[in-house]
Amino acid sequence: MIDLLAFARPPIDWHAAAPELTLLACGALLTLVDIVWLERAKAVSATLASFSLLAAMVPVVTLAVDGTDRAMFGGAYTVDDFSLVMKAVFLLTAYVVVLLSTDYIAKGDFWESEYYQMLLSAVLGMLVMTSARDLVTIFIALELLSIPAYLMATWHKVDLRSNEAGLKYYLMGVFASAVLLYGMSLLYGVSGSTMLSDINATISNSQAEGLLAVVVLGLIFVVVGFGFKVSAFPFHMWAPDAYEGAPTPVTAFLSVASKAAGFVALLSLVFVGFWDRSDVYQPLLWLLSAASMTGGNLMALRQTNAVRMLAYSGVAQAGYMLAPLAVAGESSATADDALSSVVTYLAIYAAMNLGAFAVIIAVARRTSSAEIDSYKGLFRYAPVLTVAMTVFLMALAGIPPFGGWFAKFEIVLALLSPGTAWGVVLGGVVGLNSVIALYYYARIASYMWVEAPPDNVQSSSPIKVPASVSAALILTGLVTLAFGIVPQWVGHFTDVSLL
Amino acid sequence: MSELSASWYLAVSAALFAIGFTGLLVRRNPLIMFMCIELMLNAVNVAFVAFGAGLNDVGGQVAVFFVLVVAATEVVIGLALVVALSRFKTGATADDVSLLKG
Amino acid sequence: MTDFLTDWGLTLVTFAPLLGALIMMTVPAGKTHTHRLVALFASLAALVVGALLLVDFNYGDAGILQYVVDRSWIDVINSRYILGIDGISLPLLALTLVVVPLCVVYSWDHIPHPGNPKAFLSLILILETGMIGTFVAQDLILFFVFFEVVLLPMFFMIGVWGGENRRYASIKFFLFTLFGSALMLLSFLALYFLSSDPITGDPLRTFDMRVLSDVAGAGILGVTQVWIFAGMFIGFGVKVPMFPFHTWLPDAHTEAPTVGSVILAAVLLKLGTYGFVRIAVPMLPEGAEVWMPWIGLLAVIGIIYGALGCLAQTDMKRLIAFSSVAHMGFVMLGVATLTDFGVNAAIFGMVAHGIITGMLFFLAGSVKERYHTLEIKRLGGLLVQAPRMGWLLGFVSMASLGLPGLAGFWGEFPAILSAYSPADGLPVGVFRVYMVVAAVGTVLAAGYLLWLLQRTAMGSPKPEFADNDEIVDVTPTEWIAWLPLLIGIVLFGVMPGLIFRVTDPAVLTVLTEFLG
Repeated sequence: MIDLLAFARPPIDWHAAAPELTLLACGALLTLVDIVWLERAKAVSATLASFSLLAAMVPVVTLAVDGTDRAMFGGAYTVDDFSLVMKAVFLLTAYVVVLLSTDYIAKGDFWESEYYQMLLSAVLGMLVMTSARDLVTIFIALELLSIPAYLMATWHKVDLRSNEAGLKYYLMGVFASAVLLYGMSLLYGVSGSTMLSDINATISNSQAEGLLAVVVLGLIFVVVGFGFKVSAFPFHMWAPDAYEGAPTPVTAFLSVASKAAGFVALLSLVFVGFWDRSDVYQPLLWLLSAASMTGGNLMALRQTNAVRMLAYSGVAQAGYMLAPLAVAGESSATADDALSSVVTYLAIYAAMNLGAFAVIIAVARRTSSAEIDSYKGLFRYAPVLTVAMTVFLMALAGIPPFGGWFAKFEIVLALLSPGTAWGVVLGGVVGLNSVIALYYYARIASYMWVEAPPDNVQSSSPIKVPASVSAALILTGLVTLAFGIVPQWVGHFTDVSLL
Repeated sequence: MSELSASWYLAVSAALFAIGFTGLLVRRNPLIMFMCIELMLNAVNVAFVAFGAGLNDVGGQVAVFFVLVVAATEVVIGLALVVALSRFKTGATADDVSLLKG
Repeated sequence: MTDFLTDWGLTLVTFAPLLGALIMMTVPAGKTHTHRLVALFASLAALVVGALLLVDFNYGDAGILQYVVDRSWIDVINSRYILGIDGISLPLLALTLVVVPLCVVYSWDHIPHPGNPKAFLSLILILETGMIGTFVAQDLILFFVFFEVVLLPMFFMIGVWGGENRRYASIKFFLFTLFGSALMLLSFLALYFLSSDPITGDPLRTFDMRVLSDVAGAGILGVTQVWIFAGMFIGFGVKVPMFPFHTWLPDAHTEAPTVGSVILAAVLLKLGTYGFVRIAVPMLPEGAEVWMPWIGLLAVIGIIYGALGCLAQTDMKRLIAFSSVAHMGFVMLGVATLTDFGVNAAIFGMVAHGIITGMLFFLAGSVKERYHTLEIKRLGGLLVQAPRMGWLLGFVSMASLGLPGLAGFWGEFPAILSAYSPADGLPVGVFRVYMVVAAVGTVLAAGYLLWLLQRTAMGSPKPEFADNDEIVDVTPTEWIAWLPLLIGIVLFGVMPGLIFRVTDPAVLTVLTEFLG
């Protein structure tokens, strides 16, 4: 007979869980307001959502000031520098997405309160993901952030393209989860635990037990599962369609936050769970990275739509971020360099990519199109937006003094630091791809600056940019510039370790 | 009757997974595709249970509960998407939705 | 005052133009006159501070860095904000500081189509910050950032204010240089990881150019040095541009607006040669020794190819662009000898080419403005229609072909001479062949420049332009913009010691590894 009273609740560190709990409470409040106030709730839901995100930022800051690493549930849920930095990135990203959505969602006759509720639950999943150090927790976090995202992609219900985007995203996402889960079950079978640290301990000496094949298979399945999430080539095919069809603010969210969440999971898996099996994951990630960079860039070259182009550029950017993981297992110093470089990249990528989407949203108000042709002559009638877009595109291309150069630089630095031939070759691939990528970024830039505006655009009056989108533009623009000119500001925070 | 060893369960799980995997790739009806995904998730459940029993560890069974719940949620969302889509076109297959390409 | 200059002088010189550009961004686009004034003021401010630095510079110690600023910048990658100038940076810094205000003055009433002086002038200022920064940076990453900052404004200058084919030319320029700098950055990183302390053997892990030059590639195997040098060779070689990476240059020059061409020729090309002298040679002496015969070969190919290219051109600007390829060939030949004599000649050549070719592009721009074409066969009789301009063209052409007594001579002649006895370890016979070929190149240069002069300045005007009121002689704005350059051509031609005295000690420092 089990004595129910003997069950003791595992100790909970309320401070450590405060960001998630705050967000949960605010999300519940948002739902409540919607239920009680009905139509009137629409007016406040965006404000409430952005305050929720800022409120959740408070405990993140206090935890960072406190500075001690905290672990709960036997280490399944950890709060350390890495998770705090990523939590901050997710919260701020979501804040910018709210800014981008406010006007778009209100104008489009969408379901506002529900939209922000979905957004908050997805962010909650991301916060959980940063702290998850256990297979089941990672899986739950993944679903918590993915399921609302499927719905958000379909938010424009009256548009068939939005429905198509949602369905494609959903099918590929669920398929990826299944593959991931199968890999997780294999890893669990080999190690007898779902804790990443236990998995690392057991799989590092599994050769003797003849379970190598199972370990390899499990690792491949898990990495491929997250390969879908981060839209790495050749698992990227959902991304361009989902990005194009989804409402643009949602696309911004998917391309930044959702991708970053996939990376967070991959990082904790690689550094905590698999680190000693570098013989398995390094070649796998090397291939994935090289293929993503090259494939993404080559396909981006022939896009005619700015959002699709950014989707493929996102595939390439995922390749850059995967690159350091391909050498991470060489030594613990390299591992720290690799982790810091990916975190740096994620932070800078968030700023510059959100900025680019902010401009796309602003320009689409005038041209009602994201076709690259519609950017022709933008400089003549919207010089500020043109300069902003140029900054973001050049940051994505990695041209100093805009943020992106430092992100790429840290990646290459991490690749070269162990001095292995594989690392050096991949560094060369990164360099070569930066040149290919410049072509399509520069093409948009030269459309905006060089060409004359098409006839159907009245170029006499300036584009009216809503205040919230302007705020998003200023925020992302300043961050992109600051990170490029004083990279120490981001480097200081992203100098983290998981080992 | 001889005891079935854990590896038999794993073989069943692998077969189920493979069937689901193949089905997802070859079928074009969204509903059938959902069923294939369900098949894959259940293959995972079989594997978790078999491993959990073999290792005498409760973690495997616990994982199954999570997977079950998530699978249910996913089906709800998936059906909602299909319903939304069928407002545009009844009997839609995955090939019919192809506005977005490039 | 001196303290202030020492601590802040270089920072001020570098960022004064950028500050000007930022101020211009806050002024509405309609206020053209304010924009001109701000741009002029910002570039003059940089010039004034630069002049103070030049006056205060300790010429007795031109071989060591002065006004050194060393602050923390990016601690996570051990990169610091280090600025400083020595005898090599100084002439190039001065060149930049003088050329940019002249370009602003020239733009006073010459904003090319489609106008927008606000954007045009602020791009010039941003360019200036990038160029100055490259010459004063003493940290590889800082150098890299400034080196790249130059790309974007130039890209837009060609792309927006350029000629017919501007999109092609601007993207080509951008891609070529970025390809080069990607490889260059990989080389910098290799230096960072592989350099070690020559005594203790500990890895240095620094981007400090002073330290890396001092250790001179210690701890890096000869073979590795050759590879690292290869990366830098492409990075800097694209910028110079050396044959066979030169193909972007004629396109860029032909399409660029006048001021863009002037800045490109006068300063941007020097970033590449400066990189060779400042970074590649002192930091990788063994790699340099292996590469230099090949660089010398490409340099003389560039000289002959550029000259022959000139003879085949029908467009005046394209002709001057090809002559740049030839002139930069002389500069690279001087560097390739690795001798005190040759490298000094190379630096002199950079300055001389900057002044002379810059001036030629100004003239070409003014010709284009009057005739609306640069097709050589349609031009003619400039001496009749605009005599002063015709004489100027003749004078600058003479300087360009290396007439003794004018600045061009001191860049070419010593460079050729230095190839007679290259540094120890370099193949003497090969370099003597280069010397002969380069000498032939000067004859060809005389040929194409005189040909150009004859076709455009001499003769009588073509009927289509015979009675054209637009064709006026040199305007006052043009005089103001050109006079300093013309004075420079004569002054440095008569007193080359003004530059050689400054560069020589610094060149000796750079070449310590080769001079024993």
